[in-house]
Amino acid sequence: MTSWIRLAAPAALVSAIAPPAYAVQYLSIAQAQKQAFPSATSFAQVDARSWKAQSGGTVLGLIVVDHVIGKHLYIDYTVALDPGGRIKRVDILQYRESYGGEVRDASWLAQFVGKSSASALKVDQDIRNISGATLSSHHVTEGVKRIVAAYGNRAR
Amino acid sequence: MATARDRLRRAKPLLGTFVEIAVANAAHDVMAAAVEDAFDAIARVHRCMSFHDAASDVSRLNQHAAAGAVTVDPWTFQVLEAAVELHRRSAGLFDVGIAPVLQEAGLLPGPPCARPPGPLASSADDPIELLPGHRIRFRDRNVAIDLGGIAKGFAVDRALYALREHGLPQGMVNAGGDLAVFGAEPESVVIRHPLEPDQLVCQVQLANEALASSGGRLDLFESSSVARQAIIDPRTQEPPRAIAGVSVRAPSCVLADALTKVVMIQGEESAALLDHYQSSALVVSITGEILVTPGWLGGENLAA
Repeated sequence: MTSWIRLAAPAALVSAIAPPAYAVQYLSIAQAQKQAFPSATSFAQVDARSWKAQSGGTVLGLIVVDHVIGKHLYIDYTVALDPGGRIKRVDILQYRESYGGEVRDASWLAQFVGKSSASALKVDQDIRNISGATLSSHHVTEGVKRIVAAYGNRAR
Repeated sequence: MATARDRLRRAKPLLGTFVEIAVANAAHDVMAAAVEDAFDAIARVHRCMSFHDAASDVSRLNQHAAAGAVTVDPWTFQVLEAAVELHRRSAGLFDVGIAPVLQEAGLLPGPPCARPPGPLASSADDPIELLPGHRIRFRDRNVAIDLGGIAKGFAVDRALYALREHGLPQGMVNAGGDLAVFGAEPESVVIRHPLEPDQLVCQVQLANEALASSGGRLDLFESSSVARQAIIDPRTQEPPRAIAGVSVRAPSCVLADALTKVVMIQGEESAALLDHYQSSALVVSITGEILVTPGWLGGENLAA
C-alpha cells in the first residue's frame, strides 16, 4: 500500500512577480471575425466595437469585441451573433493574469522532476498551464449576456 | 508539410471556467478543424450535464427520473456509470447525489429539496439505476444529482479524444486547471497554492496523462481569495476541514477530477483508491503541510 511522503516546506518557495505574469494572445480581432464568419467577404464596422459580417449583399451576422477587467484578470473576447441575435460563438482573444510566480528555490523544485522526465526544469519564464482552485468565468458569461441584450436586435 | 512552428492555441468560456486547447505539429487547417471539434465536444458535455440549464439531461433527471426511466445522451450515461463505480469503490465518499446538500448550503441554485439533509442512500443500494438503452432511473424520489465533480474531467477527455481522432500528434486540453495532455512532448504545469493563490506549490511535467485540482473557486476578477469549496463530505454533510487543496494525476481526466473530491475528504486514507486507479496525489493541508504519494514524484502514471 502506498505511503505518503511529507515534503519539507521550502524556505522561499515562490515569490509573486510583477504583472502580467501570465498572458496569452489567442486570436486577433481579424482572426476572430474570420473564424466566426468564414464565408464573409467583408466586415463593415458599425461602432467602436462591432462589425457586420457580409457576403455580397447578405448580412451574415454581427461580431462584437469586449473586455472584462478585474483586479487580477484581463480578458478580451468576441461574441458573434447570427442575424436573429442568437449567439453563434464566443472566443477569447486575450487572457492576461497578473498572477503567477517565479519559483526561486531550485533544490525544492528538483524533487518534483519525474524519473521519466529527462528535461531540465524551466519554471520562471514560461508559465503556460496553471492548475489549482477552479477559475470562475462568471464575468465573461455576464458580459456575453450584456452584449446579447445590447446588440441582439442589431445583427440583421 | 507541418513544421515545428505549427501550433494553435484557442480558448473559450465553457463549463463555468476558461477552456484552453493547444495543439502542435500538424498542418494549420487540420489543427483548426480538430480544435473546433474538441470545443464542440466540451459544449456537448456542457449542454447535457449543466445543473443550471433546465433543458440538460441532469435537470431532466432531477425532475423526472424518480417517477420513471429517463433516456439520456450516451455521454451522460457514461459519466453516470463512472460516478456509480466511483461511489461504490470509495464507499460512498464520491457522491453525485449530493446536490440537495449543496443547495442547502447555497452552493447550487434552486430551492432546497423538501427532504431534510442526510445521507442519500447506504452504499449497499446505489440510488442511481443504470438501465439498457442509456436510460436512468432514481430509486429514491429525493435524489438530485450534480455532475459538477466529474463532468469537467469527462469533457476534457472527450475533447482530447476529438483531437486524437483528427490524427494530431500532440495536444492539451485545460478546463480551468483540470487538464490532460497527449503526445511526445511533456507539458509543464504549475500548481497554485490553495491557500495563497498568488504562489505556486510546484511544477510537474505531464505526458499522456491528466491532472485535476480541487480546493475551492477562485475569482481572479475580484479577489485573490479562494472561495468556499463545493465539496461536501457525505458522512458529515460538511465541507472537509483538514485539507486546503488537492491535485491528482491520473490516466484520464474524468478520474483525476473525481478523485480530487475523494482525496479532499479522505486525505491519506485515499491511498488505496489512488493505487487502484493508477493515480497519484499532492495534498496541501490547512496548516500548509504538503504530502505526496510516491507516484506523484515519479511521474509514472503514464496512460497505456
